[in-house]
Amino acid sequence: MAGLLDKERIIAPPGFNRWLVPPAALAIHLSIGMAYGFSVFWLPLSRLLGKAQGLDGSLACPADLGFVGEVLSTSCDWKISTLGWMYTLFFVFLGSSAAIFGGWLERVGPRRAGVVAAFCWAGGFFISALGIHLHQILLLWAGSGIIGGCGLGLGYISPVSTLIKWFPDRRGMATGMAIMGFGGGALIGSPLADVLMKHFATATTTGVFETFLAMGTLYFIAMLCGAFGYRIPRADWSPPGWTPRASQSAMVTTRHVHVNEATRTPQFWLLWGVLCLNVSAGIGVIGMASPMIQEVFGGRLIGGAGALAELSTEQKAQIATIGAAFAALLSFFNIIGRFGWASLSDLIGRKRTYFIFFLLGTLLYSAAPAAGRSGSIALFAAIFCTILTMYGGGFATIPAYLADMFGTQFVGAIHGRLLTAWSTAGVLGPVLVNYIREYQIRQGVPNAQAYNTTLYILAGLLVAGFLCNLLVRPVAERHFMTDSELAAARTGVKLK
Amino acid sequence: MSDTVNRPTDDPPPSGASWAMVAAAWVLVGIPLLWGIAITFRKAALLFR
Repeated sequence: MAGLLDKERIIAPPGFNRWLVPPAALAIHLSIGMAYGFSVFWLPLSRLLGKAQGLDGSLACPADLGFVGEVLSTSCDWKISTLGWMYTLFFVFLGSSAAIFGGWLERVGPRRAGVVAAFCWAGGFFISALGIHLHQILLLWAGSGIIGGCGLGLGYISPVSTLIKWFPDRRGMATGMAIMGFGGGALIGSPLADVLMKHFATATTTGVFETFLAMGTLYFIAMLCGAFGYRIPRADWSPPGWTPRASQSAMVTTRHVHVNEATRTPQFWLLWGVLCLNVSAGIGVIGMASPMIQEVFGGRLIGGAGALAELSTEQKAQIATIGAAFAALLSFFNIIGRFGWASLSDLIGRKRTYFIFFLLGTLLYSAAPAAGRSGSIALFAAIFCTILTMYGGGFATIPAYLADMFGTQFVGAIHGRLLTAWSTAGVLGPVLVNYIREYQIRQGVPNAQAYNTTLYILAGLLVAGFLCNLLVRPVAERHFMTDSELAAARTGVKLK
Repeated sequence: MSDTVNRPTDDPPPSGASWAMVAAAWVLVGIPLLWGIAITFRKAALLFR
């Protein structure tokens, strides 16, 4: 088995078709992308015991139980807020594992990393299924949150370096295709989970246990197919007929910086800031999209009038469905942006692409409150759809930006370390949005207007991102590897 | 896809069979993705009804 996963084993033979690699990467990214869709499980998971006892809703914990008691209890249902910790674990362990294991991935190759990712991600589903069976939330946090989160990190970075090496002529497009899959995973996973839960549900169960087992199995197979589809090019390979332009920008190097050296450069931390600020603003919008459109437009969403609070329960239910439709639309534009902007960056350059994100983003965030006041749902939706394309585009363009700045030899590992920016943003964005909103409401600002200040602050984050991007300059000569260091790295000798 | 031009003699062009595999691989990942996108559009249509 060991030989089967070796890096040497997957060096592509002459005549290999490089267009086979992106679908392999997509198979992995579409699987791990289900992390975004986990909220589909919250409601059924929060009613497991209630349904078993024939109740309409949850079996609530005693009021005096406390947080620790709730976590350890097997005799009352989990709250959705307790289950929501899974998202925090996903983001934290995605970034941490990508940062810690990125160097290992470069040494052992993408296939072994992809296989380990499959075991972690699918294994997380199986451990969670056991947690559901025993009604022990710690097993869900440990399974899907921690072990699955490590699978997310490894799976996410596993194809990046490989794709960039196969497509030096279209780095953005190649990584955009894979990272588009991460955005698209929830589009497949959420409705699939819904179908499976309905299929497995009985009078006394929600079907979520069986769904976790089924989805874990499906993802395991899909990810193994992806991992075994990975091939890496020979070190001297380049696309036929393609030579790096002699006059290419100083922002695109043909040399290589070691991963440990890259983190000592200002460029790495500026790009860390670029990613963190772009993602913080985008995550903030994703988190508030559904309630925001409901509160800003209220009854106008169903052709009537009046603020959300003044509507009947039935009208509120209709509006909540439209809020979910808005969130679905945003997720579609998120994936379109991943492929579209990353591909465009091949033509106009990475730095210019991020300038567009930050300039256009600032304008759109600032214009959104006015669009809300104007009463135009289409304009409001168009603004946020465009913002979401740039959120996705930020993720998809960053690997190519790193490859341009630091070379391709360690780009997977460098990208892994940069993903700690995502973990940070995953905590910063929602916290910022929620606290500002709560503060506004406490100060007596009407619910529908409480988003305005938040949007202006998110625009401020993008201004800071613009400045970070502005400061990015070519990496200083002293940081690049010598030819002997590069040769040693390519033969697997550990440096520094 | 410019893989057929200016190819060095030591690196043969991808075979026809490999292009068939490319098509099959893209269909395998593309069908679930299109299914997910179609469901998303159906949900999103509510917004503009």
